[in-house]
Amino acid sequence: MDIDDLLAEVSVDSISQETRDLQELTRSWVAERVAPEILPWPSDLMERVLDRIRRQIELVEDQTGNMDPKTNFKLIVIQTELERFKFLVRSFLRARLKKIDAHPLHILARHAASATDLLPLLSPAEHQYLTSHQALLTSHYASSFLSQFPASLQRMDDTTGGISMVDKPDEDAAVFVRVLRDVGEVAVEGTDKRLEMKRGDVWVVRWSTMRGWVASGDLELI
Amino acid sequence: MSSYYDVDAILTDAQKVPCTFELTVPGLGFLEGNMSGPMKSGSKVELPLWLGEMLALSQNMGTNTSLVSLDHPTALSHRVLNALKADARTVDLRSLAPHFYNLGARILELFEEEEMIEILSDAFKSRAAVIADQAHNPRGALGEGADFMRGLDENERQLFRASHDSAKAVRTWMTDLKK
Amino acid sequence: MALPLPPGLTPPEIAFICEMELVTIIPRQRLEGLELLGGPLKPLNPPQRASIPLWLALLLKRQRRANIVPPPWLSPDSLSAILKYETEIDAFSPPPRLPPLPSGTSLVFSPPFLPGSTADATADALPYHWLELGSMLLEAAPEDFDDANEVRKLLRGLREARMAKLRQGVEVLDAGGGVKMNGVGGMEVGEARTFITGVVDGLRKIGKSREEARKERDRENGYSPSQDFDDDEMDMR
Repeated sequence: MDIDDLLAEVSVDSISQETRDLQELTRSWVAERVAPEILPWPSDLMERVLDRIRRQIELVEDQTGNMDPKTNFKLIVIQTELERFKFLVRSFLRARLKKIDAHPLHILARHAASATDLLPLLSPAEHQYLTSHQALLTSHYASSFLSQFPASLQRMDDTTGGISMVDKPDEDAAVFVRVLRDVGEVAVEGTDKRLEMKRGDVWVVRWSTMRGWVASGDLELI
Repeated sequence: MSSYYDVDAILTDAQKVPCTFELTVPGLGFLEGNMSGPMKSGSKVELPLWLGEMLALSQNMGTNTSLVSLDHPTALSHRVLNALKADARTVDLRSLAPHFYNLGARILELFEEEEMIEILSDAFKSRAAVIADQAHNPRGALGEGADFMRGLDENERQLFRASHDSAKAVRTWMTDLKK
Repeated sequence: MALPLPPGLTPPEIAFICEMELVTIIPRQRLEGLELLGGPLKPLNPPQRASIPLWLALLLKRQRRANIVPPPWLSPDSLSAILKYETEIDAFSPPPRLPPLPSGTSLVFSPPFLPGSTADATADALPYHWLELGSMLLEAAPEDFDDANEVRKLLRGLREARMAKLRQGVEVLDAGGGVKMNGVGGMEVGEARTFITGVVDGLRKIGKSREEARKERDRENGYSPSQDFDDDEMDMR
């Protein structure tokens, strides 16, 4: 290791928590925009980010009305950045809502199974949205047509005929990943493929093979 | 298994395949226009894939014969597969079957045929290369490429549309920068 | 309200990510240090150079409060050399060397959070956001380049050479995925994503019956794919 590397390592560890959180938030947002299925809710990260946004909004409200041009320009910078963060958070949440709307029953089951995990699949607000939305839909379906069907045809989660009514995303869909830490040899199930995944590589691989390493932070979606 | 609400999968399963009845079945004659009579053993009829599959898999009680034996649809006949091997880019897939590759995949679930997988995969790849060029050169799709574009199956059309849209989105972003 | 966009990133979203890249500026006015949401901003003292996120550099530039120092790779000499490589070799030109890996399990940084476009970045490699960053700088600060026209022309040449490679790459795609694309850029992924993933997914569906048979065989033989994740707490169904 030469001196540059040593210095670089020191500087990596001295990066502020705020910058680390921005890296993590950006990564989570991209992943959610790109992955075929919804990813576990990053609760600690979101708590820190939302708290900072709240405080920054208070600061801006405090300072508006201050006519000093210097302060004024500072406020422009702060507000520009605030808007960028609000965009990130909003787009992240909406990408998740889109998946919740697309596969509600599948996600509900996965969330229930993840309840005791370190990171449950959904945030409390998302879970509440999903269950109330489903309740509304169920009563709407029932009153508009389902109740007129024979009782045996009223279910929305039937699995007879070898095909489940509970729709789920294509978990084998191909994604672009970047390798953050050496992963070693990866086997793609059902094929002869053995991939040697090294730090810095970019690969196109099916999501189902990659998700474990994305969860552990060894890979990121791009 | 494909998803319950997938319209393309439903349309694929509605495509006709040749079926031969191995047994005489009373009351099924209406399938070939014989309204009240039986379906005679040995009759050949074109049935939707979902129905043909169901009949082929349902075995007569006590025997090992299937009610019906399936054959490859014309869209996947030897003649078509040979044409694809010769030059896949000149074949009009759409007129053979709008969901050509999906139909192929479904047939491959029923018949184990290594070679068909290879032929269909190679055809899809070589045609995809042309699709990529057309998608980035919108004028080509109108000129000499027009025939090729008309012959795309449903998956290929979606591939074209998606690549065309993303190329256009990048061009739009670049022009917007200049504003 | 659910997001109305298809999966993947749109060009404006890719540009948004690129705007977090650090660039070097020469401030023309003082600016006190600020506690920003993405980390502290050091005070700007003209004519001392500083590295700040691109979005802020563009804001300062628009208000004539700073000039931008283009990164070394965004120069006619570097770009010509890279273009020569791109036209002669089949693969993409190699990406910049990575900084050392942080110890243990701590967070690993990646673009736009690696300093790939500051004044002391490497000159002989295109960073991940090369096209977006180059295009944005050329639009916002052409007078900060020695020869903006030449740089613009070379960027266009690079884009064409590399997109042609991406399109011709269909041949190596296959159903299992597993295509290595080292050196690919952010906007290029954005442009080629639907096509490349569409071909890989299409091939997988054609070969699905063979894969299912093989999976069954593997399971009977007691073989299971390597699943040695660091974190098996997660629900991996």
